[in-house]
Amino acid sequence: MKKIQYYISALLLVAVASMAMSSCSEDKLGPTIFPDVDETLDPTSYSYQLDKFLKDNYLDKYNLTFLYKLPDISTNMNYNLVPAQYDNAVDLAVLCKHLWFDVYDTIAGPDFLKLYGPRILLMVGSPALNVSSGSETVGLAEGGVKITLFKVNSMNVNNFQMMNDLYFHTMHHEFAHILHQTKTYPSEFNTISVGKYDPTNWTGRGLEVTSLGFVTTYASSEYREDFAETIACFITYTDPEWNAVLNYAARGWATDASEDDTDATYYSFYYYPNNDSEQDKVALYPSDERNIARVTVDGVVHTYWKNERDKSGNRIVVYAVEDKDGIAGDEAILQKVQIARQWFHDAWNVDLDSLRKEVRKRQMHYDMDSLRRQVYNIH
Amino acid sequence: MNEDKMKKFLNISLLTLAVLSTLSLASCKNEVDNIFDEDAVIRLDKARAEYTDILTSQGGKWQLEYFCNEEEQGYIYLMTFSKDGSVKISGHNKWINYLNVGNLNSSAYGSDVSMWEVIADNGPVLSFNTYNKYFHLFADPYDIPSAGSAQSTTDVNESGYGHEGNYEFDIMKYSGDTLYLTGKKPTRSERFINMIMTRVSQDIDDEVYMNEVVAMADSFFNSKVNQVYINLPNGVRWIVKNGATSILKMFREGADEISTAETHNVIITHDGLSFMDPVMLDGYLVKNFIRQADGSLLCRDDHQTTMTADVLSSIFKTQSFVWRSEPAKMGGIFADMISTIADELKAYNKSTLNYIQFAYDQDLGTYTVSYNVKKGSVKYNPTYYVTMESAGDTQVRFTVAPEGDRYGEVYANNCPTMKQLVNTFGSVAYDLSANSLLAPVNMKMAQSGNAANYIIWILQ
Repeated sequence: MKKIQYYISALLLVAVASMAMSSCSEDKLGPTIFPDVDETLDPTSYSYQLDKFLKDNYLDKYNLTFLYKLPDISTNMNYNLVPAQYDNAVDLAVLCKHLWFDVYDTIAGPDFLKLYGPRILLMVGSPALNVSSGSETVGLAEGGVKITLFKVNSMNVNNFQMMNDLYFHTMHHEFAHILHQTKTYPSEFNTISVGKYDPTNWTGRGLEVTSLGFVTTYASSEYREDFAETIACFITYTDPEWNAVLNYAARGWATDASEDDTDATYYSFYYYPNNDSEQDKVALYPSDERNIARVTVDGVVHTYWKNERDKSGNRIVVYAVEDKDGIAGDEAILQKVQIARQWFHDAWNVDLDSLRKEVRKRQMHYDMDSLRRQVYNIH
Repeated sequence: MNEDKMKKFLNISLLTLAVLSTLSLASCKNEVDNIFDEDAVIRLDKARAEYTDILTSQGGKWQLEYFCNEEEQGYIYLMTFSKDGSVKISGHNKWINYLNVGNLNSSAYGSDVSMWEVIADNGPVLSFNTYNKYFHLFADPYDIPSAGSAQSTTDVNESGYGHEGNYEFDIMKYSGDTLYLTGKKPTRSERFINMIMTRVSQDIDDEVYMNEVVAMADSFFNSKVNQVYINLPNGVRWIVKNGATSILKMFREGADEISTAETHNVIITHDGLSFMDPVMLDGYLVKNFIRQADGSLLCRDDHQTTMTADVLSSIFKTQSFVWRSEPAKMGGIFADMISTIADELKAYNKSTLNYIQFAYDQDLGTYTVSYNVKKGSVKYNPTYYVTMESAGDTQVRFTVAPEGDRYGEVYANNCPTMKQLVNTFGSVAYDLSANSLLAPVNMKMAQSGNAANYIIWILQ
């Protein structure tokens, strides 16, 4: 009897335990709790023309969402940011298409940006000011998916230099990040300027970084930024700008500031007042260089301080700072470009020089009114 | 197994059975109690639609009492919400003036169209999601310019923060055609700023309305009358300084200013003044004040507390004040006498009268009444001496000294009405009234019992 009780108890325990364990297995997925969102554009909407343009030219074509209305949940809450002005958003939308997407369509084929392009482009009206470092972020690429462009409210489409600095340069810079995050670039690139990067104090550097083989001060912050900056500058710089970079890179640079001065100003030319080397030399900064005259005598180039003569009426001789860093900056930059060029060819089957040529052609000859009509003629 | 052990085993078994049975019954209850009728996302979507309707209905025009942070005055904005997603935002403040002409010396009107949307976050959020140049300027992260305004002189570098203003607002409540909003982003001191937005008539002309707000602000405080009072129902007064800046410096009358003064930012609205946060003064909580016909402010929260300048007799006696009048601002016998004086001056030496002045002479320790007379390019100030005493909050009496200064006597001999007018001061008491009890810069001094005889003095 006691044994029977024991078995009954054990049986009941097993049965109830089974019920307890199986009783939740009836869950089934019901209908979604989320309301249907109507994605149809409303022709009476204030922003219909821009929304339609963005849908036709970015969303439907590249599966790219172009955000010009700024909910601050889309950005880093550590920054204080404001939205873009509507009219400026229109301008930047058509320019992005003309100077970026259409370029790659032309050179790399229509599927290239469909496959590798970003999925979100976010426009922000203000700069992203880093309060602690005093620096300013002009663009962000996050995980190859999203590119953020700042300072849209400050842009002036008639100031090409500004537009290039703020946007076109940034677009190609950030897209270079997306590409190398997809297919890594040769590690050989990282060896060219090894030991010369300064991730913390690069903001205090100036043009002298070219002599170390960097196209910009930001490029001198770390490998990946160097790679993206090299590509972006090579693509977007005009010939005079690019030649100036190589020219600066080939020079020697010096500073009269102490070595630990993180904001030291460097110069690459100097002269002695009255051509008297006993006197203190006078530094010539890049902004002074329009006053340097180069005179060829018997096939030899002599450099003078324009319109200045010593007491005897002789021209004031200008001297170049000796390049002591042991780095041929121009060669280093060209070497980096060559690696990027080869990588574009091998990894992406894209001719970097053709890309550069197409960008320059477009950025030097765009008709803003004509581009805007793509939006404002939508009815 | 013996019997005791068996009993124990059975008891444990039954207890386990009971627990498991309870568990098995409870574990099947796989739905949360429905406190609400619908899922949160459905309710949020409905709330978005509901607030969108509220904002755009009846013409969609609202007044926002906008505060950026705890240390800056508030600004009124008119917003007209359209169903097409656009919003017209109008304001009138010195920052708009700075945007337009680069200085903060005056206020300017500005109106711009941008976009808006009620979006979903933790709750419905009113988002102004494209840039409006006259509104989002308070959210721009730039350093605040300090040049051109004593009110904004600051050495603080606000780069990265700017005014710290919001352009996204959590909608907390809708009641009585008022939306209660909270800025979504906290200030640097981790404060979330509450604001209210009130529906106004769709027929309002934005610029006219904003001009009226500015006129209201000008009528409240005047930098010449830098000290006013909050008069509490218990008779205690709190001194209020710097009213013209809308950053009020306040301390209890009689208390030490340096150690006890506190500052509170306010906003001048179309019909009054509101503190950003309620302020507790001697047990009285005050926040909103409505302008009264006499220019004073009455607390809307308790209908007792007022804000005024000092009593008029004290204001008029303030030794640092200089009051001036002119023929057009006189009535009765004063108008007649000033007319006669003009004739006498012309006849005497072809001079003319610019103005008459009442002030206190610190060197002589007495009040003076002087005439500003111009002969060719030379000006003379024949002066007469009076003493003045209060005869109540709104009444003063004068005693006129028998002799004036040297020019006073010379002119008295040749233009006798000049001294006669001053002597009239001493004949009766004078009742004082002002354009505003808060900013009494226009003081009317009328003969007691014969109000037709008056002089209106303008505070310089």
